[in-house]
Amino acid sequence: MLLVLLVTSFIVFGMMYLAPGSPLAFVLGPRGGTPEQVAAVTAQYHFDDPFFVRYFRWLGDIFQGNLGSSIVYRQDVTALMSGRIGTTAALVSLSAVLIAVVGVGSGMLAALKSRWVDTIISTIAAIGLSTPVFVIGVALISVFAVGLGWFPTFGVGSGGLDTLVHLILPAIALAVASAAYLARITKAAVNEERTREHVQTAKVRGLAPGVIVRRHVLRNALIPITTVMGLTVATLIAGAVVVENVFALDGLGSLLVRAILQRDFAVVQAVILVLVVAFVVVNAVVDFLYTVIDPRIALGSRQ
Amino acid sequence: MSSRKMMTGAAVLAAAALALSACGAPNSKPDAAKPAADLSKLATTTPRGTEAVDHVAWNLPYEPLSLDPMIGYNYAENTVTANLCESLMRLTPELSIEPGLAESVTSPDDTTLVYKIRAGVTFWDGSPLTADDVAFSLSRQTGDAVAYFSDYFRNVKSVKATGDREVTVKLSRPDVLFEQGMAMAAGAIVQKKAAEAAGKAFGTPEGKLQCTGPFSLAKWTPGKSIELTKNPKYWDSKLVPLVKDLSFSFIADESTAVNALRSGDIDGQYFYLPPAGISQLEHSDKVTLTHGKSLVFWTLAATSESGPFANPLVREALSLAIDRNALAKVVFQDAAIPAPTLVGPDYWGYEKDAFAKAHSEFSTAPNIEKAKQLLAEAGPQEGSIVLGVQGSSAVHEQTANLFQAAGAALGLKVETKVIPVEQFGNLYFDPAARKGIDGFFTTYYGNFADPLDVYQIFRAGGNSNYINWNEASDVLNKAVSAKDTKERAKLLVEAQKKVTEANPRIPLAYEPNTVVQNKRISGATASFSYLYYPWAATIGGVK
Repeated sequence: MLLVLLVTSFIVFGMMYLAPGSPLAFVLGPRGGTPEQVAAVTAQYHFDDPFFVRYFRWLGDIFQGNLGSSIVYRQDVTALMSGRIGTTAALVSLSAVLIAVVGVGSGMLAALKSRWVDTIISTIAAIGLSTPVFVIGVALISVFAVGLGWFPTFGVGSGGLDTLVHLILPAIALAVASAAYLARITKAAVNEERTREHVQTAKVRGLAPGVIVRRHVLRNALIPITTVMGLTVATLIAGAVVVENVFALDGLGSLLVRAILQRDFAVVQAVILVLVVAFVVVNAVVDFLYTVIDPRIALGSRQ
Repeated sequence: MSSRKMMTGAAVLAAAALALSACGAPNSKPDAAKPAADLSKLATTTPRGTEAVDHVAWNLPYEPLSLDPMIGYNYAENTVTANLCESLMRLTPELSIEPGLAESVTSPDDTTLVYKIRAGVTFWDGSPLTADDVAFSLSRQTGDAVAYFSDYFRNVKSVKATGDREVTVKLSRPDVLFEQGMAMAAGAIVQKKAAEAAGKAFGTPEGKLQCTGPFSLAKWTPGKSIELTKNPKYWDSKLVPLVKDLSFSFIADESTAVNALRSGDIDGQYFYLPPAGISQLEHSDKVTLTHGKSLVFWTLAATSESGPFANPLVREALSLAIDRNALAKVVFQDAAIPAPTLVGPDYWGYEKDAFAKAHSEFSTAPNIEKAKQLLAEAGPQEGSIVLGVQGSSAVHEQTANLFQAAGAALGLKVETKVIPVEQFGNLYFDPAARKGIDGFFTTYYGNFADPLDVYQIFRAGGNSNYINWNEASDVLNKAVSAKDTKERAKLLVEAQKKVTEANPRIPLAYEPNTVVQNKRISGATASFSYLYYPWAATIGGVK
């Protein structure tokens, strides 16, 4: 994990360094500054230092537990991120639950129920997959927030239940595409398992259909489903940026995109750091779930 | 200030923003159903609310980078600080200047200004405002300090507290820009003790701000909101707020902001450009929409010192070929006024007749014949004109289209180069960023009602004088020191003629200020002065 972090941070730092533009505009203000002011600011923030000097200075700070401070916001990165991590975590968990319930549920319905249920669900899934997130977001706001007035139009609310109410629409918008994707995966996995020999055998033995689905089909199908689920959740963390923007949420995704565009090095690095850690954690959870689903898989094995 | 959304509007993904504005704005607007905004009678205020209100939720187009008035020089920053930190002088909703924290200012000689500090003013923490605080707030912006308003402090020699309630400013030469600058954020007074204690963090969520305004800063949750509460000890009885808590959200997405206004989740917002969903707001029964006097204008700044666009004749020809009426109607959805000169009528803070007469000599009607004549005079033009266009901005792109059409009509090659919104700001001070482009579109504003505050950018050596066009420099330098308004007006009319003919910046449109308020409240300042005047102090509930 340390190696992963080191490599990603190096790559990201390098790419930021090579890309044009600088955060000077945000330090000097929109009317610019005199050449003396530009020189002073450049020296103050070490913009002119060679790449490796800057990278290792940053790395040294990290090892002392100092994430640095944002040039643009003139704040510690830690302070800048602490509030936003909670929002992102809440949004992503809520979406993950929706994706799991709706995705797996409808996928199984499509696989196990009649043909027309399959057709309906597949059609909805296709629409869900192909509709851009921001269209879904704007549509949800127009209908449920402005039209019906059931939900607030933006923001994260004031914590607790209020936050939950605020996050429902964004979580739905974020979940639609992934749930549709997961539904298709679930359907395919279930259908595949149903044709496997052990399921056929169970059928021939005259076991109840419910038992067959639970014990023999679903349990085996859960492996690909869990894999996809894990990957989806991990990408949601950074991928929520469009939803965050439409619903004016203060998440990590929008912070990252803004920081990249503003060349705010310290913030970009810190958010990437958090994302990589989150990715690793999600993968560890998925690995652990494998062992629960299929005891033949041992933690640390290569299967 | 310059470019819209220049700072944070940012997080917007280009594609998303475009598509959103596209679906937010119905394309066909029946003219009869649309209440046409009367832009000849722009408002300065909205009817003052009379009832006490517990909470007003306002929106900003992006999160402020800092609330320290010294480095707050943009829409969102100033919208908030205007209610928190007061200046020595005050820019009224009518765009005139009246005493603020200084109860009077005298000038014993041309280069000395003595500010008499108002008695009985306290900071939010209860400590009295002293001459030391004032001297500190001004001197920290002089010299090479990274302050956004260094232009106004160029001629300041010294700032000293010369009495308990007296501050003396010595200038190296008379400077009417400095005098008037004290009415905007450059003259904002902060507490010396708090600023020194917070150091670089002053004005951030971590470094506590300390000012004297009608609202005090209660809490700033980064990324989420800024909360203000009423200052019960505010000194000016005329501006004691009726609103107890004022909170700011940061909805960057315009379509979401419009929806939040329509649903009542937010109570108001200032728009410096008409939002794409302006017709939805005009038709909403939840909100009132007011167009106010403004100093903001839309312009093309020339940046090339060689090539066709460096030739003033070519610039004038292109300017003559632009249909400004179509621009105001189509690009700005009828919420802008065609501009024949850079400064419009709202800038005429003195000698109105002289300025009006000079203004009437220029026309906004396109004149292709004359343009062709000028081009013939200029001779054959090699190469093309590349215009910098800000990414994901419909106004930028559509204006560039008009220029391309005008160029085609004249036989000039006009190309565009899209620059991402976050890098667009570099154009303002980085000559390297301006390489390869011949001009870029920008909004711009002077800070008070004096045409000089706009034309002063063409003084020799000015930061924003990109093509080193110095033909009006001498006249303008004289105007800066002309304390007599009649004399100054005369000099400025002369400078204006030179600027308008040479087009170092091509005037395009005046952009009125737009304020949207929920019908339960009223009283927000309607004019441009909301950037520096405590505009929320007059908000109250409507019965």
